[in-house]
Amino acid sequence: MSPVIEVKNLTKEYNLGTVTSAKDTLRHTLAKLRGKNTWHRENFKALDDINFSVEKGEVIGIIGHNGAGKSTLLKHLANITKPTSGEVVVRGSVAPLIEVGAGINPELTGRENIFLNGAILGIPKNVIRDKVNSIIEFSELEKFIDTPVKRYSSGMQVKLGFSIATSMDAEILIIDEVLAVGDLAFQRKCFNRMEELIHQQGRTVLLVSHNIRQVERMCSRVILLNQGKILQDGESHSTCDQFYQINNKVISNQNNSNTKRISTSGEVTVEKIDIIDGNNQPTESITEGSTLKIRIKFTLNNALQTPEFHIGTHTTDFIYLTGESTALLKEDFKLSAGTHEIEQHITSYPLVPGSYGIRMAVIDQKGRVLFYGENLHFFNVTAKTSDSPLQDELRLIASDVTWKGLLQNQQKNQPTEN
Amino acid sequence: MSIRTPNLFAYRELIAALAWKNIVVRYKQAYLGLLWAVIKPVMLMLIFTLVKSFVGIETGDIPYPILTFAALMPWIFFQESASEGVNSITANTALIKKIYFPREVFPLTAMVTKLVELAISFVILAALMAYYQMMPTIHALWVPLIILYTMLVALTISFFGSALNVYYRDVAQALPVLLSLAMYASPVIYPLSLVKTKLIDEQAAGEWSNTLYTIYNINPLAGIIDSFQKCLLQGVAPDFTSLLPGVITTLVLLFLSYLYFKKAENWFADII
Repeated sequence: MSPVIEVKNLTKEYNLGTVTSAKDTLRHTLAKLRGKNTWHRENFKALDDINFSVEKGEVIGIIGHNGAGKSTLLKHLANITKPTSGEVVVRGSVAPLIEVGAGINPELTGRENIFLNGAILGIPKNVIRDKVNSIIEFSELEKFIDTPVKRYSSGMQVKLGFSIATSMDAEILIIDEVLAVGDLAFQRKCFNRMEELIHQQGRTVLLVSHNIRQVERMCSRVILLNQGKILQDGESHSTCDQFYQINNKVISNQNNSNTKRISTSGEVTVEKIDIIDGNNQPTESITEGSTLKIRIKFTLNNALQTPEFHIGTHTTDFIYLTGESTALLKEDFKLSAGTHEIEQHITSYPLVPGSYGIRMAVIDQKGRVLFYGENLHFFNVTAKTSDSPLQDELRLIASDVTWKGLLQNQQKNQPTEN
Repeated sequence: MSIRTPNLFAYRELIAALAWKNIVVRYKQAYLGLLWAVIKPVMLMLIFTLVKSFVGIETGDIPYPILTFAALMPWIFFQESASEGVNSITANTALIKKIYFPREVFPLTAMVTKLVELAISFVILAALMAYYQMMPTIHALWVPLIILYTMLVALTISFFGSALNVYYRDVAQALPVLLSLAMYASPVIYPLSLVKTKLIDEQAAGEWSNTLYTIYNINPLAGIIDSFQKCLLQGVAPDFTSLLPGVITTLVLLFLSYLYFKKAENWFADII
């Protein structure tokens, strides 16, 4: 049997800038007639030579950064826009869930909107009539169903939209980040409904989401898009892992860009910050639970008597994680003007795989802050094993634990098994 | 170049639902509701009748109010279908960008909406005919055909205009101006018979008279309005010589207009 979706060499370009006015179009066309090309428009490749095919019954996740081309790809599958070059073949009826509530009219009542949206989504009227009660029931809007939607709260509108959108029967479902609707309880309900839809009757599903954990859980195959190209297309776990790695790379690239937040009196200049490995060499990343060594090279304009150094780490969204001060040393020392180096070692850095930033403060004896900076340097923590069963979003700290009970039983059982 | 025409019949439920939505939304919070649809032709009829009493327009044996009302009905139907049709794509941006169905549905829906309003005007016309004691004859059966033809004329403008309006919003701005000019070029205030008498019988423009009359009839509305009045008020068959130039123009332009629409629709979602 031939695949239900075939995408061959799909490329989509957009012109950058605004649509030109009729006057400009005329001017450029006239110039073209005289043999001069005055038409200088920059092109942007939203999709660049995409190839893949989907078999019936597959549940496929599409992930990638903002602007990677996910929604553009879905728009092609849903026939909303046409490729610049290449071909998209879809065999079967497509139900777009591209955005919940696209066709909801605020003047109509909830019930009227159910019928209108049913028609828009191509559901025959008699089918909607059969389903209308279950849709209302799912939306939890029994009391308000004959009130115009414009008087609904935004949450109620979203509930109505979701209930309608998931009520249709189509061979191919396209879902673009629609699960995060309503309050937590309703989200849970939506999530179950989606799973029900996805696993029903071997339906073909394409799911676009930023919730990687959800994609990993629901999909058998994941396509990773990056800057309009397919970076990886395969088994969901390894593809999602690849995505995490790219994420970390993007963040560590910020080391090179100017994202540092610094306030300084000018007396202290940070020259260089390095994370160093066991061989005393600078590195970009450390393994989960290993020693973190931060080396900071800085220059003092004046000699300082026992300044306090405060060095710590934070997440990329500025949750302060560690932070230790040299004030605890309770020792007097003197630093001359010139360049110095200081190192902080954290014996077992407990944070889960991800990207982290370094912050530092230098305070003189009188308590005056000479230097304070965040985002000074980024480093990655990588997983201990590649097939880590744990989801990094589910925890922040990797703690060193021992288990009791289970292992003893296992040891008891082992001899009999062998 | 090949264009694929979708089976629009399969989308009848959608067109019906969208047209129903247009009507419900427009009149939902209006106390007079659908009555507003007939207030426009009735008001214009009264104004024209008032003006007529000053300037004097030869209308033959048909009372002027009903004659002009019978002209206003197809005229307003055409005018509003065309202007709603031209705006129909840009007015449905949210749907265009989210969901696929044949884009022809939008101009068609605009027209079906106006068809409902036209139907209400027929009630007023029937009342006027009863008042003037006019009986419809067998030739009234031409009316559905005339309306169908009016729809094709409106679609010709809608397809091209709505597609072009996606790129240049100037179209929607210019259209009302052009349409109000077109009303004076159509036999709405005055009957076609007046033009015919002046040009054909009196040869008012010398040797150009016959050509000018044909040019006048290239405007499909000339034939439409005249036929509408003839079939309903005079109870005679339409005058095909006044219909023909308009029919040919419409069929040629409708084809080109639809061709442009189909070519442009691929980029609606990108440009709109």
